[in-house]
Amino acid sequence: MNYVLHLSIYLGIYCIAALSLNIIVGYCGLLTMAHAAYFAIGSYVYAITTTRFLWTPLQAASMAVGASVVLSVVVSLAPRRFKRDSFVLISLAVQVIVFSVIANWFEPMTPPGTLRNLTNGPFGISGVLRPSIFGISLEPLARFAALAVGAALVFAVVLHFLLNSPWGRLLKASRDDELVARGLGKNVDLARIQAFAFACGSVAFAGALYASYVGYIDPSTASLDHSILMLSLVIVGGTGNIRGPLAGAAVLLLLPEALRTARIDDAVAASVRLLIFGVLLVVMMHLRPQGLLGEYRVR
Amino acid sequence: MAQLLVDGAISGVVIALLAAGFAVVYLPTRIFHVALGGIYVIAPLIAWTVLRYQWSWPVAIAASLISGIVLGLACEALNHSWLARKPGAEGAHLISSLGLYMVFSEAAALVWGNETKSIRMGLDRVWEIGPVVVTGAQASAAAAASLMLATFYIWLRWTGLGLTFRALASNPTEIALRGYSLQRLRFIAFGLSGLFGATAAILNSMDLGFGPRGGLVVLFLAVVASIVGGRESFAGPVLGGLLVGILRAEIAWFTSTRWQDAAVFLLLALVLAARPGGVLGTTKRVEAL
Repeated sequence: MNYVLHLSIYLGIYCIAALSLNIIVGYCGLLTMAHAAYFAIGSYVYAITTTRFLWTPLQAASMAVGASVVLSVVVSLAPRRFKRDSFVLISLAVQVIVFSVIANWFEPMTPPGTLRNLTNGPFGISGVLRPSIFGISLEPLARFAALAVGAALVFAVVLHFLLNSPWGRLLKASRDDELVARGLGKNVDLARIQAFAFACGSVAFAGALYASYVGYIDPSTASLDHSILMLSLVIVGGTGNIRGPLAGAAVLLLLPEALRTARIDDAVAASVRLLIFGVLLVVMMHLRPQGLLGEYRVR
Repeated sequence: MAQLLVDGAISGVVIALLAAGFAVVYLPTRIFHVALGGIYVIAPLIAWTVLRYQWSWPVAIAASLISGIVLGLACEALNHSWLARKPGAEGAHLISSLGLYMVFSEAAALVWGNETKSIRMGLDRVWEIGPVVVTGAQASAAAAASLMLATFYIWLRWTGLGLTFRALASNPTEIALRGYSLQRLRFIAFGLSGLFGATAAILNSMDLGFGPRGGLVVLFLAVVASIVGGRESFAGPVLGGLLVGILRAEIAWFTSTRWQDAAVFLLLALVLAARPGGVLGTTKRVEAL
């Protein structure tokens, strides 16, 4: 039973991450390689504020979302100029710089969370407790699973209404033909900045959930590989609607489990999983560019 | 100070070679050839295997370079040429290339294991030239990379095929309308790219350990070099490679090696914001690139 609960927590967290990435890839039409960086910012801000400053979980999660939103707005102030390859490169720059800061803002023999040793570098931050909200402790696995799955469901429903609202249609229109959208007097830049802020804030929340569930975070959450994994699960699942990323998150989670039942050694299984994802990415681009259940073809 | 400049420039020449490998595909086809990172990973592992079976160095190097060329051609034959026949999609090329990188890199991990390997032979010879010390591995890397780049530029500048190739990079539609075989030129691009990537990998592996991971980071350094240098000309990657190499050496000296990657990507962000065409590029809006 615990195993199913553990899986559903991961599923909840990665559904939020995939749905938020889909806003950028499927609704803005831009490929980003920096999503894990915002995820990690959420995890680290949550971990540092709860362990070092003893903030309440709600305060810490709000701060995590806020920090990520601020960075995304700073980065996306020039979204109109950066498109296609240039946008990929800028997102790559954000990814590498955030990873470097997280992995290297470190000094031995100094407590983590201070200005001299903010992130504790490669040793990561441990001792993040599971939260209790409104007096209800989420220490039992079942309650935390309810929180993660509930958060993912609420997020999916909110996203459904948001993306079918005039704002969502504006995003789609500017993705398909930006010139026409601008010609109709729509503020495409503002809509994109809002979409970015919303996506990065949501993934930071997923990061905060992850930190509070696992209890320990290290720089690997901010790695380029993690970003690529998130991107591939959205591409494989499908972009441009709600069900595609959900399918991607399910595939991402079920694949390692399938490999486990095939009794493949753990170290080999990690490589086999990535190998299968690589093959899927290539095959998808040839046979089904919109992903398993998606609508929008990556251009 | 002189030592720093020389060390930076030598590593920069090898980055420049890899950057040329990226640009030789990117300029004519606009394909973001991420799979080159996978070729970079596999080439030294092939050389390592050949050496383990007691074959000589020239055989190992030849096998490694041929594997680079074959993998480069395979990327085009099995993936990009098929995608190019469908209505254009840069993103599809990039994502499938990323998929190929994952396939190459993880296949290498499965075949050769995750541990770092080395093909270095004993202690290196050292030359002292004034205040500067150069190791044998550095000297041979600089010489081989410079020679290969020089040959490439002579080919590009002085031969008929080189002229056609430059024309392809400048205007692919017109070169196709004039009856040149795009397919043939694209194969040449991918083959050259594989050759440059494998050579850069072999040269780096003389000095450093290598394994199945990390190809992407090295490739992205080369991508930064070709963008910073100027993505509209074949000379851009060389200038960019030298700049990136020297910047990395300076950062290692004045702060720490830990900040090298961040500094390089900060440089990329600054160049994209202030001069999107790169150092050698003409002043253009970033949308036009």
